[in-house]
Amino acid sequence: MATERRAQVIWRGDLMSGSGRIENVTSGAIGGLDVSWPARSEDPGGKTSPEELIAAAHATCFAMALSHGLAQGGHVPERLDTSATVSFQPGEGIVKIALHVEGTVPGIDADAFRAAAEGAKANCPVSKALAGVPEITLETSLA
Amino acid sequence: MPFSLTSRIGDPGGKTNPEELLAAAHAGCYAMSLAGELTRAGQETARVIVTATVTLDEVEGGSHRIVASNLYARARVQDMETAELERIARVADQGCPFSALIKASGTVTVTAELEGGANGD
Repeated sequence: MATERRAQVIWRGDLMSGSGRIENVTSGAIGGLDVSWPARSEDPGGKTSPEELIAAAHATCFAMALSHGLAQGGHVPERLDTSATVSFQPGEGIVKIALHVEGTVPGIDADAFRAAAEGAKANCPVSKALAGVPEITLETSLA
Repeated sequence: MPFSLTSRIGDPGGKTNPEELLAAAHAGCYAMSLAGELTRAGQETARVIVTATVTLDEVEGGSHRIVASNLYARARVQDMETAELERIARVADQGCPFSALIKASGTVTVTAELEGGANGD
């Protein structure tokens, strides 16, 4: 079954001096988030940006895929401390994403955890959607 | 903010999910690109409203894939024909780095219209 998720942004003014706001999304979980070009390309100053939202999307997608893969292999994780760091180069776009996960997973060794994480990195839908990013790295460790 | 698989492929129930965050990212990226292109075209942009709808679907083999992100933009600008806005909206899509990425996985469509009809309000 296809699922649709919608987000609305209202932008006022030009790119350099104007600003926008993520007004609402399907779930209602986020909204009222300000964005601007200076906050995106320089110091965020407390504002989010498309790249930060992509980082959040990738980290959550990767965490879900990894938890599923681990559980299928008989190792339900207690905790996956996951992060995605997106590097944005104005004029080029996203040049790198660095995934990091520290897992608390009973009964698994580092190699098996690494293999599961590699699988999640390759197969989660957001990874596939971001396949055009020049470099996606992965660091794994067990707590 | 909480998220879960149920909120991702079923009723969101107030929880966000990766695709919703991507929709917010794409709408933000495209809104900035469109504002930039309108300025480049000599337009003073009063307001742009962008909605991105991201579709996740099960594909052959049972895995999930982001198959589409559909952009819908309404612009309040001075003295512009719909056809010119549509042209600028396509250029903005080409200039939005996130649109280019999504196209690796699915389709991106752009629909643009003038707020209040032709020639703005």
